[in-house]
Amino acid sequence: MAGTAPPQSDPGRERRAPLAWFLAAASGASAVEIVRLTPLRGGAIQENWAIDAHFSGGSLAGDQRLVLRTAAPTGVAASLDRLQEFEVLKAAFTAGVTVPQPLFVSGDPAIFGKPFFIMRRVGGIAAAHRITRDAALEPALPAIAERLGRELARIHTIHPPNSDLAFLPAYEEVGPAPQIAGFRAYLDNHPTPRPVLEWASRWLETHLPSPSEPVLCHHDFRTGNYMLDGTTLTGILDWEFAGWGDPHEDIGWFCSKGWRFARLDREAGGISDRASFYHAYESEAGRPIDLRRVFFWEVLASVRWAIIALQQSDRYILAGERSLDLALTGRRATECELELLMLLDPSGAPNA
Amino acid sequence: MPDLPTGQTLLALARDVLLNDLMPLLPEEARLDARLVANSMAIAEREAETADYLRKTITRNLEELYDSQAWGERPKDLLRRFARDLRVGTFSSCEPLERRAREILWLLTIAKLRRANPRFLAANGFN
Repeated sequence: MAGTAPPQSDPGRERRAPLAWFLAAASGASAVEIVRLTPLRGGAIQENWAIDAHFSGGSLAGDQRLVLRTAAPTGVAASLDRLQEFEVLKAAFTAGVTVPQPLFVSGDPAIFGKPFFIMRRVGGIAAAHRITRDAALEPALPAIAERLGRELARIHTIHPPNSDLAFLPAYEEVGPAPQIAGFRAYLDNHPTPRPVLEWASRWLETHLPSPSEPVLCHHDFRTGNYMLDGTTLTGILDWEFAGWGDPHEDIGWFCSKGWRFARLDREAGGISDRASFYHAYESEAGRPIDLRRVFFWEVLASVRWAIIALQQSDRYILAGERSLDLALTGRRATECELELLMLLDPSGAPNA
Repeated sequence: MPDLPTGQTLLALARDVLLNDLMPLLPEEARLDARLVANSMAIAEREAETADYLRKTITRNLEELYDSQAWGERPKDLLRRFARDLRVGTFSSCEPLERRAREILWLLTIAKLRRANPRFLAANGFN
């Protein structure tokens, strides 16, 4: 990430011994040798480390490629902690969603300085600009969109009550009305007025959908948060915002313009038209998508992404996390504002 | 009067040197950061050029919207008042005012994107 301290030659050196001890104890191995422990790029809110390790005996005997996931120095308020994210990942894995297998979790700061969990490392790339630009991927993109539609429907088979996910706030606390209240609370303390976000929040408030049967929503299901190895989906990543919600919330988020990257014309995640994605979702879920609800959630998605972008900038402005990438992210809020105007006032565009 | 070349000209030149002279010499893993630096310089350059225009244009439009009630208000206070009024739907009961408010939102957003991300604006069909 731009502006962060230059990498040391072995940034995880001091952490190897306690981590090896933890991995051995958790897996029942007699010993674990960590061959590689290096930070991975990406993950604006969490910190991910690649681990290559040799396990002597135990449940993971042999050579293993793993990821350790822990919190970045600063974050955004809405995200789960790592222990909670581990539980959500386990629930998704059990439901048959394609995710990196979750393995172990620890809240003991003596091991890595802060809570973390360990999962298997899946191969491939998540880089959204590459996925939406790569000509070699083009022929496979409709099938990838269909696969993602089915995966999302599978995530949405998880619903409350669920004793393993009892820490997730009830839907009534995180539905659209509380979200709008949260946006406004943030804007009240933001130094710069954002009239478009206020106007769009007003629209949301006056167009609230009827209550929905809640399901587990990923809440950041989008291009950039899944891994492709060639044309094969290897894992859906970054579950830190997961919670109960309206299933259309994830659909609106996936299709919102902020996540189409190099291909604004491909409305399903920058990789295909909506039809392929919707059809696969509906086939797997066994229920139709309500297009009016998707529209509502797509509007909310643009407000939400604008607020998150501003919060990312706050991590530099207010919390002092020295990162040019974070500092620049706040500028993207205006892109969301343009999209809000295009969605809610298409005939008002100056050159429409 | 500032010395020549102006700060803006120096910024443009520095960006050009970064992208065309230094970038090819950088290792692959440093190029993303260098592109972010070049992007920041471009934003700063465009903002220096247009900040005054944006403030004056939006302020004038808001003063017209609020008629004489807003004369003398500081631009930021005026913008905050506009945002507050949009939150509570002040303009929604009067169609001409509502339309005028939306025009200002378009004006503000397009002017900001001209500085922050003109390519995104163009990709969405705005010249």
